[in-house]
Amino acid sequence: MGVDIRDLRIAIGGKEIVHGVDLSIGDGERVGLIGASGSGKSMIARAMLGLLPPDVMVTGSVMLSGAEVIGAADRTLADLRGRYTGMVFQNPGASLNPVLPVGRQVELPLRLHYDLTRSERVERVNAMLAKVGLPADVAAKFPHELSGGQRQRVGIATALITSPRLIVADEPTTALDSITQRQIVDLLVSLVDEAGASMLFITHDFSVLTRATTRCVVLDEGSVVETGETATMLAAPQDERTARLVRAARTLTLRVSREGADRETDRGAAPSDDATADEHEGEA
Amino acid sequence: MKAAIGYAATVLRSMWRHAGGRFPLVVLGLWAAISVVSLFWTPQPLMRTDGYHTWQSPSAEHWLGTDGTGADVFSWLMAGSRTDLLIVILTVLVAAALGLLFVAAMVSRHTALAGASVVVVDALISIPTVLIALVLAVPMGASIAVIVIACGFGYGLNLARVARPQALLAAQSDYVESAVSNGASGAYVFFRHIVPNILPVMLVQLSLSAGTAVLAESGLTYLGVGVPSGTPSWGHSLATTVRFITVYPLTVLWPGLVVTVAVVALNLFGDALRDAIDPVTNPELRRAAGATRMEEDGHGR
Repeated sequence: MGVDIRDLRIAIGGKEIVHGVDLSIGDGERVGLIGASGSGKSMIARAMLGLLPPDVMVTGSVMLSGAEVIGAADRTLADLRGRYTGMVFQNPGASLNPVLPVGRQVELPLRLHYDLTRSERVERVNAMLAKVGLPADVAAKFPHELSGGQRQRVGIATALITSPRLIVADEPTTALDSITQRQIVDLLVSLVDEAGASMLFITHDFSVLTRATTRCVVLDEGSVVETGETATMLAAPQDERTARLVRAARTLTLRVSREGADRETDRGAAPSDDATADEHEGEA
Repeated sequence: MKAAIGYAATVLRSMWRHAGGRFPLVVLGLWAAISVVSLFWTPQPLMRTDGYHTWQSPSAEHWLGTDGTGADVFSWLMAGSRTDLLIVILTVLVAAALGLLFVAAMVSRHTALAGASVVVVDALISIPTVLIALVLAVPMGASIAVIVIACGFGYGLNLARVARPQALLAAQSDYVESAVSNGASGAYVFFRHIVPNILPVMLVQLSLSAGTAVLAESGLTYLGVGVPSGTPSWGHSLATTVRFITVYPLTVLWPGLVVTVAVVALNLFGDALRDAIDPVTNPELRRAAGATRMEEDGHGR
């Protein structure tokens, strides 16, 4: 079992935000965690990696590859993070250090967990950047020189460079435009599948979730309200709160399709799947 | 090591391109050179006094004249430059170390430590530097150590207070969380992610502190708790002549001028350095990073 969460409760200042959540992710499985803003999705993701601040009360059990995360020592957590798990953040602009070249940031997990020479690290960083569709010269650039989509590709490269067994993607497409959203989701899914890793994909958007996951868990105000196959849930949601999200996704999907069609008409050319071509247009 | 030298060269080159950076580099370069030269040579021996030629105007023999003991003013200013340089360097080092220590405590994940350190800094910052120096002078007597400890302590607290908001922003940022999620330890995050992002604030504050240290040396030496009598320093030159300013203004003018130029240069140095190390505003730094990376790629293959 990749991840097994039992009766997870999170409280801030005495107020419980997450109420006894159970969630498991099998090896190689891609699971979505969906819910409206403020439903506790990101809290659960951070609790899984032991990233919540010490004044946040976390109880229950989170087993990551047989190791208990809740109450684990800092050293144990540091060893798990980056080696066993990788995280992709919501805001690619904010999750990259503005004063460090991109290459230094992508190689961080290698530097922390593996005893490699500088040239070996550079080689692996270049290979990883190529995998996410970025040219090697991006390694020497600073984050402000890249477009939003390119930054998120850097985030994905950082999360995957050590081939971790679990990827936690915390709304990785929210800060991106709809075309780049699709490219990033497809890239993430293909890389995760290629590595045989598991993924927890967090979003508030069903239209993104259907591309990224096979099974999903719906969260509302800190409680799980529905669990099941993503496609089935999208077709026939059982809970009213799930149905609301599905309706919103359908509206969004229509908008996305319209935007895509408009864009292609504007170009007067056939649609292109070339990820970097689109993103280089926005390069600073 | 090679990369660090390359980085320093790029930063210095960037500073040199602007008048605001060239002026402090020239002044500080001269200051450092004169300090070294003064160890081996001064126009007149420092301890040579001439009771028959006191308060002399500038001449071929005494380039800036003589003071009340007939000693050569230029030679004393030359020798004083090394004392002041030493004081500035040590004060900045003490202030930076203490400031970073307090910043680390104030942005700690442990809320009790963070809260307590804010209270401690706020309480200690209200103690005047002069008072600390006077208290230290009781057991230690007048010495360079008194100036360095008093100023380093006071300026370190100021630095911590000024840098805290920026450090808190960095500590709560996504890029720090990203580093932690990759397995980085607290110390690694602090030195690799937080410090580089508060460096601009630190440099400006430390350069102001360096300038203030020169002024403080003069003030504390005048009060008799700074540089001991007989040790050349700019403060000493000022303290021994300032009482006669209405009669012999020139002898006060020279050390005053030197102190003013040094303080202005130190202040400008901080501003210029801040601009030069910012990869967003300095394209030369970005080009240098690219060149270094290409070199590493060559090794990697």
